[in-house]
Formats: sequence, structure tokens, C-alpha cells
Amino acid sequence: MNLRVEGVSFRYPSGVLALDGIDLAIPSGQLLAILGENGAGKTTLVKLFNGLLRPSQGKVYIGDWDSAEHTTAALARRVGFLFQNPDDQLFERTLAREVGYGPRNLGASEAEVKRRVARALKLVGLHDMAEAHPYDLPQPQRKLLALAATIAMDTPILVLDEPTIGQDEVGRGAISRILTDLHRMGRTLIMISHDMDFCAEHAQRMLVMLNGKIHVEGTTEDVMGQTKKLDEAEVAPPQLVRLAQALKMPGTPLTVDDFVDEYKQWRKKKKSK
Amino acid sequence: MRGGSIYIERSSGLHWLHPLTKVALTALCFASAAALPGLPWLLALFVGLLLPLAIWGRLTGAFLKACLLVVGPFVLSLTIIQGFFSGGETVLFKLGRFAFTQEGLLAGLTFAARLLVALGGTLLLMQSTPQPHLMQALTERGFPPRIAYVVLTAIQIFPSFQDRAQVIMDAQQARGLELQSGLLNRARLLLPMVGPLILGSVMDVSERAMALEARAFSSPARKTSLNTLADSLLQRAVRWLLALAAAALLLWRLWSALQ
Ligand SMILES: Nc1ncnc2c1ncn2[C@@H]1O[C@H](COP(=O)(O)OP(=O)(O)OP(=O)(O)O)[C@@H](O)[C@H]1O
Ligand SMILES: [Mg+2]
Repeated sequence: MNLRVEGVSFRYPSGVLALDGIDLAIPSGQLLAILGENGAGKTTLVKLFNGLLRPSQGKVYIGDWDSAEHTTAALARRVGFLFQNPDDQLFERTLAREVGYGPRNLGASEAEVKRRVARALKLVGLHDMAEAHPYDLPQPQRKLLALAATIAMDTPILVLDEPTIGQDEVGRGAISRILTDLHRMGRTLIMISHDMDFCAEHAQRMLVMLNGKIHVEGTTEDVMGQTKKLDEAEVAPPQLVRLAQALKMPGTPLTVDDFVDEYKQWRKKKKSK
Repeated sequence: MRGGSIYIERSSGLHWLHPLTKVALTALCFASAAALPGLPWLLALFVGLLLPLAIWGRLTGAFLKACLLVVGPFVLSLTIIQGFFSGGETVLFKLGRFAFTQEGLLAGLTFAARLLVALGGTLLLMQSTPQPHLMQALTERGFPPRIAYVVLTAIQIFPSFQDRAQVIMDAQQARGLELQSGLLNRARLLLPMVGPLILGSVMDVSERAMALEARAFSSPARKTSLNTLADSLLQRAVRWLLALAAAALLLWRLWSALQ
């Protein structure tokens, strides 16, 4: 399902202008990463996608729905939302109830709820703890639980605010697999992250925000190559890209494999000169 | 965003008042909440004073919403508890062995109204005053920063409570819960959350206290402030009147309790 933002501005009641003239179209099935320094407006932007915030100006379309005509609860059928802070999201007594909460609200049958809970907990590796209390888990695991609760909603669009923050290699691996799966299933994925390596590896397209505006956007390779723009937005490209730039290699290798390939070619060319 | 975000920027007379004038008003509200004898008085104060002030401050919507969000869950739990368990003659209905009485209902509602008045006073202050201004006003008048902080913390429990209630409701809606279905329903949904809410708010506030401490908040060195707060003779007079009224209310209450 696609998503469109047209001429959107947003001002908080405290007077802060957090979004300033945003136009954006996210086609169905795309994996988009949103980057930018703290306070750039990333979270504010994605909160418009499920109606938690309403634009002060402009329109947001979720598929063929004008978001202004639907409640957040209705939009939840189309947009799953992982909050930046998992503690903002967890309120049930057991992991199973927490994950089942969304599907139950959307009217899934008990058998269906059970099935989705089991599958989602399995995906994040928490299936052994289904009856534990969410707050008995350490924070990184709580984030994975929140992710499971989001996945269980089975929405065509998913918004993930900082999915990898605080995760160790195991957690990152799990999230990476989940994203890849969801992407293959054709879901539209929007992820906010400061984890450059993770974004470079997974995102098809990137959008860099600065002071409530879109500063640069384009394919991941394209954006990662724009050193000056990234500098202005206080975003550091991943180590591999910086290494390639330091070596004055052409191209923007995003994975280790890419880097090795490009490096070999480049060496060959240099030698033959 | 927790705490701090409760301030709402507007250009209004209420916003321009010296923070201490508003503190005096809040004090009067707390005194009234404790001292006024019954439901009609409390509601009259809310409708006759607090609401007009909120309108003057161009905060009506935010003010009412916050009142609802915080007092809502309490209204319900208090009326249920009091209605069933505080006794009384006039039975309204029975649930098994338990009788729900009119006297109990009234007691519950009165208690909730006390909460509403105290909260209303706090909200008027916090929604119209940036926190640094308040802190500055208190310390300028020779309040030891430590005590100023305790005062601030105490009045912030309510707003912080409101923030958390909002956050939880956001999360519930984001997972498909319709909240349109009226006030009572909202209160019912928040009810199981009263525990975590209080806990969370206290944790928020104490975390902030630690953060301040870590930045040498209670250092004895004199702090410099960058701006000055506007004050006037009239405001001073009003302030004293409000404080006197608060003290008189409390004394009257004490006196009548001793009779
Ligand atoms: N509830 C709020 N009330 C008032 N201002 C807010 C609120 N939430 C965010 N802001 C302000 O809006 C601006 C954008 O904030 P936002 O949370 O969208 O940034 P972000 O890009 O998600 O940052 P981060 O990387 O720190 O999560 C900031 O200036 C922030 O201080
Ligand atoms: Mg954010």
C-alpha cells in the first residue's frame, strides 16, 4: 500500500514548528529509511501516518484513504507503528496478551489471535516467555516485544521508530531477518534509525531530514554519496562508504561484499594504468 | 515528550502574569480543595473562577482535556468505592450483598471534585508558565533551590500523570482501540492503569531530580539568570490577597473541625 504526504506542516501546541512543508510519496512495497539529527522531526512525521498527530496544514493519504477522515484506531488496520520508546507502548500483563491486543481490537477470532501471537513471538525469539510480564524483560527485549506486537497487526504498512536501538548482534540479526521477510512479502516499510550500517544494508531509499524539512532524498546509494548534504544534516555515512571515499574509490559500496568487489575492480584498473 | 511539554505558548494576560501570582492562585485552589465543605462550592469555584481564567489564558480546550484525562479515571474508581463501601441510608441499587448508596455516590463525587479543583489550579499555572520562569521566580524570592524544586516536583506530578495517560492512550489507539466512545469509556480504559500511571509519573519526576542533581543543581554558588520577570504593584497586592484567602480558608476549616 502506498502513502502520500502533500504540503504538510506541523506545529506543536508549545509553538515549535516541527514539520515545514513536507511533500513525499512512498510507493507500495518500498523500504524507506528516514535519517536526521535529534529533533529533526522524524518522529513527528511518522506520527502523521497513523493519525496520532494531525497536520496543521496539508494532507496525508494512506492508500486511498484521506487520513483526516479516519481515526487512529481505523488507520491501525493499515499502519502498524513501533514507538521509539517501548515503554510507551506496553501496557498488558503478559507478553501473549500484549501481542494479542492489536489483533483482538481488529476483530480477529481467538484462534487467529493465538496463531498470530505464537508466530510474532517466535519471530523475535520470545516464544518461551509468553506468560511472563513485559516489565520482567530488559529494555532491549521489551523493544523486541513491542516489535512483535506491531507485526501481529498484519498491516500493509509498518512504521518502525528506531528498531535497532540498544540491540546486541542477536537482536539486530532478528530484526534484520524480520525486515527482509516483511519486505519480501511486499509490505511498505518505513524505518527511522541512527544506525547507518543497518540502514545502508536494508533501505532501498533514504530520506534525510533537517529542521522539519526534507534535506535530501533518493536511492540509498545516491544519498550516501552526497557527502556535503549529509554533513549539513549532521548525518555520518557508514564506515564502508567513508573508507571508500578516503581511498578515493568511485562508487558507494553499501555492504562488505560490494566493497570487496568494487575494491578489486578499482585495483585492477589502477594497475593497468 | 514527558514533563515540560505541558506548557502551551499563547499570548494572553494569564501568560503575562508573574509566576508567583499564579503560584498564589494555585495555593488558593489547594486550600479550597481541602477546605470547601461540599460539591456545589467546589464546582462553583471550578466553573466560576478556574474556567474563566482558562478562557482568559486561551487554554480552554487543553485545560478541559487535561482535567478529563487526569480526573476521569478517579471519578469512576472513587464513586464505585465510596458508593459501595461508605455506607448510608438511601440505597440506589444492589449488587449481590452490596448496596450502592446515594450518600456514597455523593462522597465519591465530592472527593473527585476536590481533586479537580487542585488539579485545575495546577494546570492553569503549568500550562501558562514556562518551567524555567517558575523556577527563577521562586529562587529570586530567596526560596532555597532545593525547596523550589520540591514545590515544582509536587505540582508536576499531575501534568506528568497526564503525559503518561496520553502516551498509553496513543499506544492503545495505534493498535486499533477506538477511543471515540465517550468519557465513561475512556475512564474505564484508564482505570487499570492508575497503578502504573502513578508509578511511572513518580519515576519520571525522580529521574528528573537525579538529572538536575547531576548538573550541580544544588551547588551553593549563586546562579545568574538571563531575563527578568515582569511584576507590578497590583500583582503583588493580588498575590497577598490570594495567599491570605488561602490561609483564611484553611484556618476556618480547622476551626470548624474543632467545634
Ligand atoms: N510533544 C511535544 N511537544 C512539543 N514539542 C515537541 C514534542 N515532541 C517533539 N517536539 C519538538 O519537535 C521537534 C521535532 O521532534 P521529533 O521528536 O519529531 O524529532 P526526531 O527527529 O524524532 O528526534 P530524535 O532523533 O531525538 O527522536 C523538536 O524540536 C522537538 O523538541
Ligand atoms: Mg524521534
